[in-house]
Amino acid sequence: MSPPASARLELRDVSLRYGRGAEPALKGLSLTVEPGELVALLGPSGCGKTTALKIVAGLLAPTSGEVLVDGRSLLGVPPEKRGAAMVFQKPLLFPHMSVEANVGFGLRMRGASQAESSARAREALGRVRMEGHGDRRPDELSGGQQQRVSLARALVTEPSLLLLDEPLSALDANLRSALRDLVREVQEEGGYTTVFVTHDQEEAVVLADRIALVTGGALRMYDRPQAFYDRPRTREVAEFFGATNFIEGRSAGPDGPVETALGTFGLATPVPAGKVTLTIRPEAVRLGTQSEDGGNSFVARVSEATYLGTQISYRLQAGDTSLRAALPPHTRLAVGERTTVRLPAESLWPLGP
Amino acid sequence: MVGGVFSRFKIPLLLAPALLVLGGLFAGGLYAALVQSLGYFPAIGMTEVSLDAYREVLGSRRFLDSLLLTFYVAGVSTVLATVLAVLAALALRRSPSRISSVIFQVPITVPHLVAAVGIALVVSQTGLGARLAASLGLIGEPAEFPALLYDRYSVGIILTYVWKEMPFVALVVLAGLRGVAGELEEVARTLGASAWQRFWYVVFPVISPGIVAASLIVFAFTFGAFEVPFLLGRSYPTILPVMAYDEYRSVELTDRPAAMAINVLITLVTALTAALYLRLSRRIGGRRGSS
Amino acid sequence: MGRRKRPGGLGLALVASLVALPLLPLLLWAFTGVWRFPDLLPSELSLRGWEYVAGGGGRAPEAILNSLLIGVAATAASVAVGLPAGMALGGYEFRLKGLVIFFVLLPILVPPLASTMGIHLTFIRLGLADTAFGVFLVHLIPTVPYTAIILTSVFAERGGEMEEAARTLGASPWQTFRHVTLPRAVPGIAVASLFAFLLSWSQYALTLLIGGGSVITLPMLLFSAASGSDPVITAVLTVVFALPALLALVVALRFLRGHGDERDLPFLGRPS
Repeated sequence: MSPPASARLELRDVSLRYGRGAEPALKGLSLTVEPGELVALLGPSGCGKTTALKIVAGLLAPTSGEVLVDGRSLLGVPPEKRGAAMVFQKPLLFPHMSVEANVGFGLRMRGASQAESSARAREALGRVRMEGHGDRRPDELSGGQQQRVSLARALVTEPSLLLLDEPLSALDANLRSALRDLVREVQEEGGYTTVFVTHDQEEAVVLADRIALVTGGALRMYDRPQAFYDRPRTREVAEFFGATNFIEGRSAGPDGPVETALGTFGLATPVPAGKVTLTIRPEAVRLGTQSEDGGNSFVARVSEATYLGTQISYRLQAGDTSLRAALPPHTRLAVGERTTVRLPAESLWPLGP
Repeated sequence: MVGGVFSRFKIPLLLAPALLVLGGLFAGGLYAALVQSLGYFPAIGMTEVSLDAYREVLGSRRFLDSLLLTFYVAGVSTVLATVLAVLAALALRRSPSRISSVIFQVPITVPHLVAAVGIALVVSQTGLGARLAASLGLIGEPAEFPALLYDRYSVGIILTYVWKEMPFVALVVLAGLRGVAGELEEVARTLGASAWQRFWYVVFPVISPGIVAASLIVFAFTFGAFEVPFLLGRSYPTILPVMAYDEYRSVELTDRPAAMAINVLITLVTALTAALYLRLSRRIGGRRGSS
Repeated sequence: MGRRKRPGGLGLALVASLVALPLLPLLLWAFTGVWRFPDLLPSELSLRGWEYVAGGGGRAPEAILNSLLIGVAATAASVAVGLPAGMALGGYEFRLKGLVIFFVLLPILVPPLASTMGIHLTFIRLGLADTAFGVFLVHLIPTVPYTAIILTSVFAERGGEMEEAARTLGASPWQTFRHVTLPRAVPGIAVASLFAFLLSWSQYALTLLIGGGSVITLPMLLFSAASGSDPVITAVLTVVFALPALLALVVALRFLRGHGDERDLPFLGRPS
């Protein structure tokens, strides 16, 4: 098997408006996916992520903007000539064909012989661990099996772009994680440039090289998964990734401390002068004996403690500000107890406007 | 335990009224037709059961001509309606569904007689078609326009059926195109299939069971329908249901078993078509249900 | 309009005009005074046909009234009989269900002419032949299956969870039917009634056989007019005959819009 020619995908200022006067589904989306990279398009339902995928596939035409593969525009190219194979939310196997015929479909459409398409279909079925199912009818397979076949059907054409539209969302939780691993595996093996649409933040984090967070038809942040936790760009991004701790303050200058209702905090990151919102992950908050070394600390009352199995989540109240802290389950703080809270400088992150 | 008794017999009780009505009128009527076709007709003194009526009917030239005509009219109407329906559905698949469904619902809802009169006013020798031909200088006299009513090719009947039944098939096709066939077509597209390949290898195979089922319904209907051929057909040969009616209305009461025998034969053909349809639609339903 | 051309606009226009083609001369003839042969349009319009029909010419008012009465009666009876059947077939699984559905469907698929001819003799004996009541009875052969099947699909589509919820909240079977099942079935009942009425209204062959010429309904008049020589009278009667169908279509469209329903209009077959 020859490795596929990995392509570099670029969306340049892509917008789409369905009807005159309608709110645009996409507003100037720009994005570059490097060859062999897996990018997750993450966002709530209706944010425009599937629209963006269909534009790349050619099933929708943008109102304005450019879609380029290796620097060449795709917009004049019909979907069947783009070499962009798509896996949909539903398996959508052709009901009148055997599993093997389904997988070999793309090859036969390109004029491959029966023998060749059949051999390569069997090979592709092996890649998704469905060897031996070639003679079955699609309706004899379970939902997870059908989605594997659908993945094989897309892979067999050695697409220059692999487009996945929430392919796991219709599956049960345990099947979902197994298939997720399989997707990552075949994607890495084949080195396909891949765009994966999902509304599931965990799925995006586990799968993607980079995540593009889209809300309201616009790109909010495009970075490696870790950055969405450590360095979210805005409060909206931080909230989408589950951040709950927000502290309003005012910065004295790039190196200066930030004044807040809880006290004066030093940060490891420069903060421009003016109003600023700080955030910190609950896991980074230090309590009681952990917060000995003085700086960036204040006293708060434990207002709620929730046992979560692998950790305990505390709600802390200091004046009008309420913060969450997640600690190992062996810590024992009682509700109503007062404790020292430290927000380590390297964990405090200033959010952009 | 009134409730218990009720719930135990709930389903039979709920079904009873409909089954009684249909059993009495439809099944009872069919049974009577069958009995009478066998020559059992005590009202006119015929009490001997025999297959004479069938022998007489099947052996007659008139019946064979009728049978051929009926198959011809039903067959041609069904094929034309189906082909046109597929074309119309393809033409309208991207139009708003409200508009297309209004367009197709008009002929479906309007009675057959209205369609027959409308078609007659278009294709008769003084109809719209003839007037158009005359104003184009193609003909001078109404009589020069081809006779399309009461004619040997049953053009008027077939056109009426095509106009009436095409939209029914078209809506079935359209539902298929807008449903799963449309999604599968997108998949095929991303896998590199051209427009023709998509239609031939994906869309058509997926919607064809629905098309066949719908055209079976059209065939069964046009095979057994009475009024349009009664209005627009020739007096010889007539379509089978009209022949049955003529025999039944005959002054000779002894013709009645023959009328009933024709009825039984019509029922057999249409029931067979219906059974085919039901088998097919169950298979479509079953496939849809399990995927 | 500067908008992009909608694809298929040409196809839409073509299909729409083919559908409209036979209806056009009907409307023109109904209002024609004089329309000589080669003319493409009438040279004189008039309400002659309408005056004749409204004035009782050819017993039109009586025929329309008969058609209406028989139609309403057949509709009411079909719903009364078809509603419980639809509840049973749509809401429950039971043995022989497939067979029952086949039996209910059969009168739709097999022409009702055969059974009507078969039952004619019995109707004569019972004094039902040549009476409006007898005509009403045979109209049930096509109308009951349609109502039953439409209501079956209505009940099958929605399942019984709502009823189960009502029972757990303390509603008796009757209260459940009265306050939950029935109100939710109203749209389905409306559609089924529409179909039943249109079917009965359109019926010619069964009326001819059982009514024997004594029960004059609109299609009976229309038939003799169509075999006659005055296209104006024929056209007027035909337009009147088509009216309920077109009205029903308008109502159905508005009704569906009111419910924000994006599905196609319900259809199961064609009233003939």
